[in-house]
Amino acid sequence: MKNLIPYFTLGYPDNETLSHFLDLIPVDKINYIEFGFPSNDPRYDGPVIRKTHNVGNINFSDDFYKKYFDYFHKNHVKMYSLSYYSDIKARFDDFIDYLQKRNFSGIIIPDLIIDYYSEGKEIINKLNDRGFEYIPFFSPSTPDSIIKNVSSMTKSWIYYGLQPSTGIDIPYELDYTTERINELLPGREITYGFGIKTDDDIRNLMKNGGSGVAIGTYLIKMTEAGDENGFIDYINKMRGVLDE
Amino acid sequence: MITAMNKEIIPDNWYNVVPDLPEPLAPPRDSKSDISSINLLNKILPKEVLKQEFTFKRYEKIPDEVMEAYEQIGRPTPLIRAKNLEKKLGYSGKIYYKYEGATATGSHKINTAIPQAYYAMKEGVKGVTTETGAGQWGSATALAASLYGLPSQIFMVKISFEQKPLRKTVMNLYNGNVVASPSTLTAYGRKILKEHPDTPGTLGIGISEAVEYALDNDYRYMVASVMNVSLTHQSVIGQETKKQLELIGEHADVLIGCVGGGSNFGGFTFPFIPDGDDTEIIATTANEVPKFSKGDYKYDLMDSAGILPQVRMYSLGADFVPPTIYAGGLRYHGASPSLSLLINKGRIKSDEVTEEEVKEALRTFANTQGIIAAPESGHAIASAIKYVKAHINEKKTIVVNVSGHGYLDLSIFGEKK
Repeated sequence: MKNLIPYFTLGYPDNETLSHFLDLIPVDKINYIEFGFPSNDPRYDGPVIRKTHNVGNINFSDDFYKKYFDYFHKNHVKMYSLSYYSDIKARFDDFIDYLQKRNFSGIIIPDLIIDYYSEGKEIINKLNDRGFEYIPFFSPSTPDSIIKNVSSMTKSWIYYGLQPSTGIDIPYELDYTTERINELLPGREITYGFGIKTDDDIRNLMKNGGSGVAIGTYLIKMTEAGDENGFIDYINKMRGVLDE
Repeated sequence: MITAMNKEIIPDNWYNVVPDLPEPLAPPRDSKSDISSINLLNKILPKEVLKQEFTFKRYEKIPDEVMEAYEQIGRPTPLIRAKNLEKKLGYSGKIYYKYEGATATGSHKINTAIPQAYYAMKEGVKGVTTETGAGQWGSATALAASLYGLPSQIFMVKISFEQKPLRKTVMNLYNGNVVASPSTLTAYGRKILKEHPDTPGTLGIGISEAVEYALDNDYRYMVASVMNVSLTHQSVIGQETKKQLELIGEHADVLIGCVGGGSNFGGFTFPFIPDGDDTEIIATTANEVPKFSKGDYKYDLMDSAGILPQVRMYSLGADFVPPTIYAGGLRYHGASPSLSLLINKGRIKSDEVTEEEVKEALRTFANTQGIIAAPESGHAIASAIKYVKAHINEKKTIVVNVSGHGYLDLSIFGEKK
């Protein structure tokens, strides 16, 4: 079964609205869920998700979301945290303790190998020791040697961002992109994200060996607009495309 | 001497260094919080150029039409052993220079102007626009646009516009429209003129005006340097050099080039990066624009107005107004992200030379090799001479990129009594 991974920034557009949309998610249609913990500097996100962090920073409350973390866990939806290392560096161990206590399976750290490359190995080893998944995050500008080295330190799925940041639309060669990552990491579970919108995007990625897709900007726009029906239809539709 | 007649020397593909970097290249960041300046590039650059800017493909096939144009403008350029210079310096090693001044427009700039104009023409855009410092990039843009039947609007940094009127004539001959920047053609230019009427202009202001002009007039912006795509196109220089060295059984121990934004330097040296660390690589800047020694390695604006995304690079600050030095092409406040990363990681060393060292080097090069090099290229030559003097007993093979000729820059020497 191919992975469908919705993304939400905690606290956006506000706690009540987000909780309402989380309630609407058909849990049998998704595999994992990615929660963005609001960042003070979401520098590798596009304008739509960047804004969610600014608002989420004001609204986020663990007390509010604890029941949702329990809910997804009980329904066997694996949860992953999207957190910038610049935000959690000073309290890294405490933050991982917290995520494990909330039954998260792992963490995606978009700035780790870009801005903190020299610390990357130690952090990944630390997460491995704790039995907590580090999800390698790569982008088109990640050199081949880094993709191989970082991947070899983990056994988890890989998050490959197709665009330089979320929600933008720079032209790229899909076939070449997937061919390259498949050659570098044969047999590895690759989930694609950043800039995926249409059925055809997903179809083509899966046809080329992708293991799943992460959808963020598109769903966030629906929560902003309060488009409940569109939200449910979209998730069902994407599930259908992945199951083709 | 390897002659320019062997077209087999021109590579079939451009080389992109990104997949071979020692660490990930930091992605660009939006310059403003509410809009995506990265997405805005879709309206600023031809689509194929934009795709190549963000690609991780190690090799990109050079279209046949571009290959044909490369031959027409004088590629491959010669690689020449500077025996007279070696003799003058008393050096028992070897000095070669790759001479990009042999192209039709007299510098390396045409290597990326041609493909960018070609892709713009293929997309059916109304015209192209860009900034230029010393005028070499403007000349290349005007010619490339003319070759593909496109109008070109060029914003020339005011101080160069005033100091080098013949450059304007050259651009006009290539059908280019040229104005001094800051100009009254754009809102940003008018703002700068109002606030700083006596400004000599900067490349950052010129870029801002050209980008604004592209957005307002459905033109496309031509990328002179800094952005990766221009370095990729310039890789014809380094790939030719490698092949020419192979043909004569030589190995480059040292590569030296000058750095404005990094395009000639990256194009010349990056194709050697995958071969390992046994070639020493030196990037030379002007003493007056000490971006590598006094700049910070940080995210900064490429243009003064902040329309383009920010990139991580060595920078003296986007508002840095450099002295009105003799080498206009080296006045840019930053350097390309890939070059900056390689400098930061120590793979590439940097050097700075003074105006007097450059003038002396240009004189020496002229009266030993007969080539009057561009002031920008004079920095690479001066750096090579310094290197030779510091390693006089080592029999190394040094290769210098002479990125352009200086026939339109002779005023820097004044009159000899």
